[in-house]
Amino acid sequence: MKATAAPLDATLTVDASRRAAGRATAGPRDRKPLTWKKRSTPWVYMAPAMFVLLLMTVAPAIFIFYSAFRNDKILGGVGKFVGLDNFITAVTNASVQHAFLITFGFVAVAVILEMILGFALALPLAAQTRANKVGAALMLLPFAVTPAVAAMVFKQLLNPNYGWVGYYLGVFGFPNGIDLLGDPTSAWIVLVILDMWQWTPFVALILMAGLQSLPGEPREAAMVDGATSWQMFRHITFPAMVPFIAIAAVLRTIQAFKTFDSFKILTGGGPGESTEIINLGIFRVGLQSFNVGLACALGVVFLIILSLLIPFMLRVIGRRSDPEEM
Amino acid sequence: MIRSLDRVKRSRIVAGLGAALTVTLLATACTGGSSAPNTAAAKPAELRMLYTTDEANSAAVASLVPQFKEKFGIDLKIDNQPYDALQQKVFSEFASSSSYYDIVVVDTPWAPALVQNLEPLSQYIQNDALNPDGPQSNVGDFIPKVFYDTAVYNADSPIKRYPDPTAKPDASAIKNAGFDVYGMPIQSNVAVMAYRSDLFNDPVQKSNFRAKYGKDLTVPKTWDDYAQVAEFFTQPDKKLYGTTVMAGVGDWATDDFKTLLASWGGDGTLADQNGKPTFDTPEGTQALDYYAKLAQSGHVPPGSTSADWGTTAESFGSGLTAMTINYHDLKLGDNVKGGTIGYAPVPSAKAAGPHFGTWMLSVNKNSKNKEWAYQGISWLTAAEQQTTMTAKSLHPSRTSVFTGIKSDNPLAPFYDTLGKSLAEGVGRARLTNYTEVSHEVAVAVNNAATGASSPTDALKSASEKVSALLKSAGY
Repeated sequence: MKATAAPLDATLTVDASRRAAGRATAGPRDRKPLTWKKRSTPWVYMAPAMFVLLLMTVAPAIFIFYSAFRNDKILGGVGKFVGLDNFITAVTNASVQHAFLITFGFVAVAVILEMILGFALALPLAAQTRANKVGAALMLLPFAVTPAVAAMVFKQLLNPNYGWVGYYLGVFGFPNGIDLLGDPTSAWIVLVILDMWQWTPFVALILMAGLQSLPGEPREAAMVDGATSWQMFRHITFPAMVPFIAIAAVLRTIQAFKTFDSFKILTGGGPGESTEIINLGIFRVGLQSFNVGLACALGVVFLIILSLLIPFMLRVIGRRSDPEEM
Repeated sequence: MIRSLDRVKRSRIVAGLGAALTVTLLATACTGGSSAPNTAAAKPAELRMLYTTDEANSAAVASLVPQFKEKFGIDLKIDNQPYDALQQKVFSEFASSSSYYDIVVVDTPWAPALVQNLEPLSQYIQNDALNPDGPQSNVGDFIPKVFYDTAVYNADSPIKRYPDPTAKPDASAIKNAGFDVYGMPIQSNVAVMAYRSDLFNDPVQKSNFRAKYGKDLTVPKTWDDYAQVAEFFTQPDKKLYGTTVMAGVGDWATDDFKTLLASWGGDGTLADQNGKPTFDTPEGTQALDYYAKLAQSGHVPPGSTSADWGTTAESFGSGLTAMTINYHDLKLGDNVKGGTIGYAPVPSAKAAGPHFGTWMLSVNKNSKNKEWAYQGISWLTAAEQQTTMTAKSLHPSRTSVFTGIKSDNPLAPFYDTLGKSLAEGVGRARLTNYTEVSHEVAVAVNNAATGASSPTDALKSASEKVSALLKSAGY
């Protein structure tokens, strides 16, 4: 306890002296008041971007919120305000609850596996050798493939009658004509593998950049002190990488929640409703049945959950990046 | 005081905006409304048509564009979209009251929701000046079941069906019964059975079948025979299976079940005209039980519980199966040496009721060229044009076209089967949320086919969900 108290006191002292210096050098009383023109200049510069943002993002979002409280149909008359009816339907429907649950399950499993595999790929590829540059370029290929195309290729590979996957599983003793998309467990495995194949390079790219930016001195000092590779990874590399891991995890989580193409093309939500993620449901309700109010309510519920989840993730990972918390 | 003045100002502004909006809406409603056809309407330089792709043989319709120009002196511009994109495009066009497309292709599951936006055509059909090639566009020639299921609606209550679907179509009778005509059927799809006639006619196969079952190998006419023949042909070591099922989650699984349900004497439309589900019945259980057993029998190719109509067509085309049920004519791949295809109506049990659904060409209620658009769809769906389009595999909707197909037409056996099947087909329930209803039924069919649920439990669960969906849709 004593060992940590001293540096903490020192930090507080430094912060206090910085604040004092700040007041001494640039106190509010010493500043000349800005004219209206000068105050408005930054807003003028920002106006075009803010206008586009308002038009393309904020306005549709407001409209979605508005529609979620109404029973508007895309055709056939004007709808009316229905209060929370759409939200009650969205939250109490057993299929919707199931869809939310499996969506979270998919995101959790896929993102965790991609983070682990991405880190494992980034570690050896971070060294800037010619071979690694070629390896990194090749690794990015799946990331560049359109998700719908990747899913279509996977579907052909998985065809139990003439697909390569079934053939090679047969070579390894599995039954012939195995239908991986016809069983809920194997269908989930396929969907997670496809997601990992496509998005692990994205994670690896971020983590590789992070590893390359780390200073070498702490590792060199640790080597001199006789630290093992594991100890250096555990106590130096990993803590220093936490901010990069946080960025990759948050970006991947947001992307994974938006997954649609692979589920639509590979399983269509089947077998049964076992892979019916919420995005498939919103698509069907909104763009095939055109029940705009319910689709908007589903979207809003999804947005609220994500809005709570992402800051929570950042807080948890951010706390881990604080040396005091390690 | 100041606050109350502000409030007065605000309420005046809101009232003003409301009035402006009302006037705009009324003006829009007036321009988009339906009125008596103007036989002297100015001829446009171009008519725009929104059409699908392979689902309704777009190539066949496209082949008539030069003749259309020759006939009317009008360019026919066709925009093609694949199914999902087309559905969204059609709905968004009508939602925005767009007049861009004069002619729109409509699939039967969409029609109940769209019918208020389609121009009622009985006045046009009854107007001699708009039908120079034949009185009433010769609508009496359309296959009655196809015409009534596809194009005849009561716009105020789209769930209702014309009381006599076997009567010869007549615009006056339709109008007098409180219905109207909302399009001209152009591509009639119905479930038909295709089989490898080379295998069925092979003396060795015939002899083996007789030795095994004590009867002749014939094209199955009952579902029991169908399962038996499927068992006979199944030889996984030779990469040959008896038949196919389309048990993946999608409209195709619902269609398979509908056909069987009607065969077992149930209501193949899935819901009655009061908006109540009608498939959780003893007939439904028997039909789904048969389907589940067939799917799990090993007499269908691996992957059948995630198959759709495209997958089953591929399986049959590559020689993987001896029989299949699909909506269109099929082709065998080059790898199937000496293979030939025969067609027959799907088998029956207590009754016959192959699933059918027809695309129609409709006139956009907001079009500025409605009279010419009507003449255009009337001409495109006329017997002569439909006959021409059979060269490109169009599925005709007129009786005379089927009877006129000559025996030297390479697709004559297919058309013969298609015509017979259409005459006894069973359509879909006329629901504005049919897609959601179909999805729940497809999930039940898939669960039964994979063995995840018993047919009884699957149908009970689906019926409860469909009841809730129909209630939420206002039925």
